[in-house]
Amino acid sequence: MKYIYSIIKADYLQRTRSYSFLITLAITIYAAYSFVPPPTASYTTLNVVGYKGIYNSAWVGHVSAMMTTIMLSLYGFFLINGGIKKDVDTGIGQIIATTPITNFGYLLSKFLSNFFVLLTISALTFLISIVMFFVRTSGSPFIIGDFILPFLFFAIPALFTVSALAIVAEVFLGRRLILQYIIFFFLFGALMANVVGHKSSTVNTFIDTFGVNTMTNSVKDKVNTQYHEHIDAVNLGFTFSAKHRFKTFEWDGISWTGIFIASRLMWICIAFGLVYFSSSFFHRFDFKQAAGKKKKALAPANISHTNGTFAAGINVSLLPPVVTDYSIFPFVKTELLLLIRKGPKWFWLVNGGLWISMVFVKLDIAYAYLLPILLFLQVTRWSELATKEVTNRLHYFTWSSYKPLQRMLPSQLLAAFTMAVALALPVILRSAAAGNIYSVFNIINGAAFLVLLAASLGIVSGGKKLFKILFFFITYLITQKIPLTDYLGALPHDSPIGFISIMLMLNVFLGAVSFSVRSWQVRHL
Amino acid sequence: MALEIKNLTKQYNKHKTGLSNYSITIDRGILGLLGPNGAGKSTLMKIIATISKPTTGTLFLDGEDIVKNPDNIRKILGYLPQDFGVYPNLNAYEFLEYIAALKGVGGPDLRKRIDMLLDGVNLTADAKRPIGTYSGGMKQRIGIAQALLNDPKVLIFDEPTVGLDPEERVRFRQLISDLANDCIIILSSHIVSDIEAIADEVAIMQNGTLLEKGTQPDIVKLVEGKVFETILDSQQLNDLKARHLVIDTSRQKDQTRARYITRDHQPEAGSIAVNATLEDAYLFLTHTKA
Repeated sequence: MKYIYSIIKADYLQRTRSYSFLITLAITIYAAYSFVPPPTASYTTLNVVGYKGIYNSAWVGHVSAMMTTIMLSLYGFFLINGGIKKDVDTGIGQIIATTPITNFGYLLSKFLSNFFVLLTISALTFLISIVMFFVRTSGSPFIIGDFILPFLFFAIPALFTVSALAIVAEVFLGRRLILQYIIFFFLFGALMANVVGHKSSTVNTFIDTFGVNTMTNSVKDKVNTQYHEHIDAVNLGFTFSAKHRFKTFEWDGISWTGIFIASRLMWICIAFGLVYFSSSFFHRFDFKQAAGKKKKALAPANISHTNGTFAAGINVSLLPPVVTDYSIFPFVKTELLLLIRKGPKWFWLVNGGLWISMVFVKLDIAYAYLLPILLFLQVTRWSELATKEVTNRLHYFTWSSYKPLQRMLPSQLLAAFTMAVALALPVILRSAAAGNIYSVFNIINGAAFLVLLAASLGIVSGGKKLFKILFFFITYLITQKIPLTDYLGALPHDSPIGFISIMLMLNVFLGAVSFSVRSWQVRHL
Repeated sequence: MALEIKNLTKQYNKHKTGLSNYSITIDRGILGLLGPNGAGKSTLMKIIATISKPTTGTLFLDGEDIVKNPDNIRKILGYLPQDFGVYPNLNAYEFLEYIAALKGVGGPDLRKRIDMLLDGVNLTADAKRPIGTYSGGMKQRIGIAQALLNDPKVLIFDEPTVGLDPEERVRFRQLISDLANDCIIILSSHIVSDIEAIADEVAIMQNGTLLEKGTQPDIVKLVEGKVFETILDSQQLNDLKARHLVIDTSRQKDQTRARYITRDHQPEAGSIAVNATLEDAYLFLTHTKA
């Protein structure tokens, strides 16, 4: 067991000692703060139509735990995904493969390391929930169990499950990141859809991965009993509303039943079981065995005819004279090429299918759902927009080139923007044809926002994860019609001009961040 | 053409210094940089390549301030870093086109120039394959080709022979020698023989400082008459190590042939004087001057 502990420790430290993790923690602090909004806020995090719980230990503790569970399950997957890939990329995997560690031992250590990374974040939200209790309440008794037990029974099993899903995704889908994201996107949606609105029953308690059903039923029953209502729907998550008048009720938390606790233990056991099952299929870094024919064709053994040395050497005096050309178009061309070639070729069939669908389905569906999803599917392209030269160790060339800041970064932004607009073209043209000029502006603004967000987060964090997490989050919330995340302007807004102005200002800000940080980076390698 | 570096210091943080008050003038020809790991060779090269800013000090190329105006040297710079990478999805031709764009090289003859460079490093047959499938030596060769794309006047090669086989190394040395006539070439290597074979001048560094700079004969002269060889058993070898700087040993049946440098010109009994080499001088300086 000792070696497993060492691997977990090393893996945990490796993941947490990064700028992107620090930024994730900062965002988490803000998110945890927002879980307990002030009474005057225009949103709630647990909403029973027309009713609002009085802030007490049970309310703050349960809502914070539940929000942490859902949020962390959603973006945690992106945060922890890629632990095995890292070992492949760094070559550590080949060393691991030659050690006595079993496949299960290795995957178990990765799984637990995933879990501890997520646990660190949830521990932070736990502490902030206690702080928020004292900030938002006065005179209400502080009951520590109302904070510990929800985190224990909601968050812990969910974190184990997500940690295991990340392992399963890596083992079975390898480097097909986008496929992993899509499957997780739909799986998460299915898990949430499965529980929301269902009546309480033993079966539902067991299939309720996050424990949402148990909590919402308890809250609903309290309101229905106290006010003789027949409310069936409870909204969990950020619900925006201009309405500030609510009837209040005092909720004392969940009675933790044996069945509920057994269901939580079941999900933990399922998580371990998934890891054990995956270990039978783990490639153990033997890619010749795992690779298809195409990969084999590219193996160095088959290119021996080209492994020769310098043939005739280089006679510099015979080379054609150098003609200077400082235009950025060759860059834009290559950047576009890199964007297009990223990922498997077959994926362009999926993109093409969605693109054509946007021509034929109802415009509002194309605009509100298909377009954000199509843009999200390119997440691996956007996320490496301004990070790829560093991750590919090409920055030595790019940053020592002539005017890198004025030529390189604008080319990357321009290429990505061109691609984003091209992907959005059906909706842009249809909106223009329908005379909706605001929508045209909004989409173009949104495309610029997407590109600048990817570039700035990549440049600031030095990695792709932060953008991936945020973009997944944004896209998911767009499909839930949350106006705050509507970067494409598909939802109705009070002032169209105001919305366009805000997006423009955001874009200017993100552009300024990108250029100023990169300006420093190119001279401080 | 001359690169003049004065009192250059690079302080990464409170505890880590890359270069310390480093001054050197580099003229046309090949300057070989020698030094152990952490000596500051790569830091110096990064500063000259303008991707790292010195904490203090100045760097002038023909009177132009490179720290203040980095774009001046960038136009005429060829840089092959120690641990560079490539975009694996591009083929060799596309990659060189991309680097050419970075360097501001274009025009109708660009394609021909790339073809000739690819031919020169024997990658023509593989020019249309993704670079991600290349071997280490092939990647290193494309690295060399990119450094020459813009007809550079300042060439920086950081450990350029890593990954090259012996024949490729010889070819590379020839290429460097051909280029040296009208360029400043700065070359670092752990392989002293690479430097020995081509460098006009040698700079030996340690702990971010310059220990010695001069032509090879000047450097070698520092240890002339101090290098000896002797044959002894293992116990005697330990005694020898305690008294002198043992720079090489080789086993011969039950005994060991040892090459050593004496600091006081008093060799051990039975030792024979041998010709000093650049490697002897390098080891002597890095072990005694630090």
